[in-house]
Amino acid sequence: MSFVFRLPDIGEGLDEAEIVEWLVRPGETVVRDQPLVEVLTDKASSELPSPVAGVILALGGAEGERLRVGDVLIEIDDGSVDEPGAPHAPRSDSPGSATLPASERPAPEHPAPERPTPELPAPERPLSGARPKASPATRKLAREQSIDLATVTGTGPGGRITAADLDASTTESPAAPAPLPSVDSTLGQIAPGRHPLRGVRGVIARNMVQSWSEIPHIHTFDELDASLLLDLRTRMQDIGRQVTPLAVAIVASCRALRRFPLVNACIESGDDGDEIVVHERVNLGVAVATDDGLIVPVLHDADRLDVFTATAAVAELAERARSGSLAAADHRGATFTVTNYGSLGGRWATPIIPPGQAAILGMGRIADRPVVVDGVVVARPLLPYVIGADHRLVDGDLLEAFKRSIVDDLTEPLRLLVGR
Amino acid sequence: MARPTDEQRREMLVDMVTARVQSQRIFNLQRQGRVGTMAPVDGHEATIVGAAHALDTDHDWVLPQYREPIALRRYGPEMLEHVMLYNIGHPAGGHIPAPIRVLPYQISLATQIPHAVGLAWGLTLQDDPGVVLVFFGDGSSSEGDFYEAGNLAGVLGAPVIFLCVNNQWAISTPVHLQTAAESFAAKAAAFGFPGIQIDGNDVDAVYDAVQTARTRALAGKGPTLIEAVVYRLGPHTTADDPTRYVPAEDLEAARRSDPIKRLRTELETAGLWDDDVQAEVEEAALAALDAALEKARSTPLAPDAMLDHCYTTDTQRLARQRAGLLAEAGPGGSAR
Amino acid sequence: MTELNMLEAINETLHAEMARDDRVVVLGQDIAHNGGVFRATEGLLEKFGERRVVDMPLAEGAIAGASVGLAVAGLVPVAEIQFLGFAYQAMHQIAGQIARLRYRTRGRFDPAITIRAPFGGGVRTPELHSDSLEGQLANVPGLKIVVPATAADAKGLLASSIRDPDPVMFLEPLRGYRGIRDDVPDGEHLVPLGSARTARPGGDAVVIAWSHQVELACRASDRLAEEGLSVRVLDLRCLVPLDLAAIAEAVDACGRVVVTEESPRTGGFGGEVVATIVEESFWSLEAPVVRVSGFDVPYPVGMVEDRYLPDEDRIAAAVRHVLDMA
Repeated sequence: MSFVFRLPDIGEGLDEAEIVEWLVRPGETVVRDQPLVEVLTDKASSELPSPVAGVILALGGAEGERLRVGDVLIEIDDGSVDEPGAPHAPRSDSPGSATLPASERPAPEHPAPERPTPELPAPERPLSGARPKASPATRKLAREQSIDLATVTGTGPGGRITAADLDASTTESPAAPAPLPSVDSTLGQIAPGRHPLRGVRGVIARNMVQSWSEIPHIHTFDELDASLLLDLRTRMQDIGRQVTPLAVAIVASCRALRRFPLVNACIESGDDGDEIVVHERVNLGVAVATDDGLIVPVLHDADRLDVFTATAAVAELAERARSGSLAAADHRGATFTVTNYGSLGGRWATPIIPPGQAAILGMGRIADRPVVVDGVVVARPLLPYVIGADHRLVDGDLLEAFKRSIVDDLTEPLRLLVGR
Repeated sequence: MARPTDEQRREMLVDMVTARVQSQRIFNLQRQGRVGTMAPVDGHEATIVGAAHALDTDHDWVLPQYREPIALRRYGPEMLEHVMLYNIGHPAGGHIPAPIRVLPYQISLATQIPHAVGLAWGLTLQDDPGVVLVFFGDGSSSEGDFYEAGNLAGVLGAPVIFLCVNNQWAISTPVHLQTAAESFAAKAAAFGFPGIQIDGNDVDAVYDAVQTARTRALAGKGPTLIEAVVYRLGPHTTADDPTRYVPAEDLEAARRSDPIKRLRTELETAGLWDDDVQAEVEEAALAALDAALEKARSTPLAPDAMLDHCYTTDTQRLARQRAGLLAEAGPGGSAR
Repeated sequence: MTELNMLEAINETLHAEMARDDRVVVLGQDIAHNGGVFRATEGLLEKFGERRVVDMPLAEGAIAGASVGLAVAGLVPVAEIQFLGFAYQAMHQIAGQIARLRYRTRGRFDPAITIRAPFGGGVRTPELHSDSLEGQLANVPGLKIVVPATAADAKGLLASSIRDPDPVMFLEPLRGYRGIRDDVPDGEHLVPLGSARTARPGGDAVVIAWSHQVELACRASDRLAEEGLSVRVLDLRCLVPLDLAAIAEAVDACGRVVVTEESPRTGGFGGEVVATIVEESFWSLEAPVVRVSGFDVPYPVGMVEDRYLPDEDRIAAAVRHVLDMA
């Protein structure tokens, strides 16, 4: 119903004008191009003619007042009908505000946008196979650590090698839990003299220091009766299925972590202070012995596994570890670690919790030991174990309850078969 | 002397009145924020229209500056569409469709003068029987391009008509500060071809001068410089305030020699024009302009139109920029 | 194949293109009766006549501006600016008009204009005769910038330039006119605009160059080869449009890059190449990209010219630098 005439920029970049004199009054009928008002800008004094014919409804300011470009100058009833939802906008037109339909030529097919704004750098080409891709900063790191980039798997965009990939490629285990017996003749061999602490050893050392200095460890040691565990293994083998004690321990650990989420967590320093980070997923680091020593690949979402799939997953992981075909992702993301040092011998240990985790389960060798049952000393297969925990998060009672959960499941593994 | 017929003179007045009225309406549109800066034609109509009528629009090219296009109705209704598209700032405003032999607005003063010479030369190389008429102002004649082009035209003997529209002012610079030469026509002596000065407000004089120059050119006798003396009755452009520097009495005197008033009086006396005809012509002119404005405003504009026509086909860089611009606009994107 | 120097290749191409297309008109100062101050247009007047081979008055602006008019008339002007430094006298027509004719008129006209101009140093010219303006021209959308480094490419690229409906600045290295000789294919030979070429294979580093610097880069690389280094030389051939894929491929393969140009460093086209490498091939870089260039002063007088120009030694030093051997 009304045409809103907003003060235009009439002088190439002006942003305001002063109303000098109104040439019309509200209620007056005007014709198109009839002068409405005289305005003064710093360039000139100008009369502004009416864009439409109609009746003056309202003046946008008093004589002497300054208006900014875009302010309402005058409202005119030009007898047109309101468009629903757009009373004024389409009518007070100016060159810049036109939204014009369709296309000056056949509309382009809207090719899938490669990038959201004009000419951001091209999306990364995938590795062409010739040379590894890495940022200059990463290359510098690699040079300093004597890492050949060709041996590193890149997990960045387009297969790019990141600094974290360098870490993962050098880290056998973020915190090697225990001294390892090995038949490898190179074990412990090094020439007398000074050697720069870098490369794989340097990364291990850094991680150890971090764990040792940041995480106050408590450990609880005990042995559990592994009779039913071994019995289950035997009975499964009889029917052609594989279930290892390690797999059972994995499933038991996952159940305990789900029961007590505070153990599936860690403490991190942030800009606003330290935070308890409770992990959403349960990813189990599983120590595996290889010819090159112990490594700890990760079973992601291990809580989805049952004792059968856990057995298979560990075997597959171990096989890949030994054949050197683990990817960097296989080394990352663990929220809890199980280290079965018992498979190499060993009874007790004080495993070190890797950074980013709050607890670790260590299992020694199952061996027959004398126990007292109903007042009589008998031989039973006992599984020595240790649970290390971050004492900032895990108090004694929580540790006990956590341990109890795992021990109960390991002592009577059938609980796991029916618990799902 | 080549004299236009009564019918031609009547046609010329229609064109002149149309140009004036449309120019004034476009001026108002600028004041309403609907078009950008424009240069009003007031006072120049007889020169532009008279010249256009002396040309063969099928063969002869016109290279304007930026005041003339509104008065080149003789080259077809597409000229008004071109004017409106240009004035609303639409990219399509640079396109004058073939086969119309007019080039678009030239903002860089005098650069069109060497274009005219090259074009005229090109026509002769192809045995194309046309001449090129190039408009430029008194101010433009100080640019190097005028002298280089005039000199080249003389050497080549190209069929070009240099039409200097001397409206006394280059924005605020009066002609006596623009040159110490006796006249702008006199500068032709430096080029080796004739220069003549005429009353630019007299359509007959303009018609005759351009016809004569045209005939000369087509006979292979080379270029002519015509200085058409007029007075700029309005501001230089919508961004100019001439009251700051134009003496009021000069303007008053010039208004009395308004070319439209002059021709109208003659035609009325001859019974070829009256108030009704005037009203009809004005009404038709405004209706045509409104239609052209409407058409211009509804001309489609793709979000990536501004990238079109830089090269025949996009370079790789430009193609990526186009994709980015389209992505920014989104599906069914509208122009920003 | 015939062994030709660059000038001969250019002359041969002009003859061929004028014979092939009646619309081609050659214009410039001293190009008709004199055959050009370097004889690039030798023989054209005799063969094609004075309507198509035209000596122009001494006015670069008019040469460039008239070319616009000739293009509007539907002709194919091949204009010569006697030395690229004098293009400054015509910049308002080159950048303001020639480059924009298609864009302004929404494609109504084909500005099929080729402007040939020699540039580059090493021949003791007076002021402004050796200036490198290609960086400034590259910043003008609508122009194509072609910089041949061999006689064969001078032929192939000039033919493509003349046939291109877009305006082309065809920049010829002064030092190369007689100084560069190579085998030129007989008959029609077209090199598409926008495709670079590997002037010298290699993998340890790549020198990206154009025009006469390609020759120097190859010589520097040959010298480094004696020390067991394998240095690739990429000849851009065309600055606009730029062969982005070739640059990426070379940088991906080598990881270490030197860009060399005669132009002053600031604002030179070398900066555009480096920016392109950072945008497209950042993850392949082993070392920062090193530019070799002229100094940030006006092109100097003859006595000190050799100290100004990038030469084999400077290029080789830059290559060693990116190989961390300096």
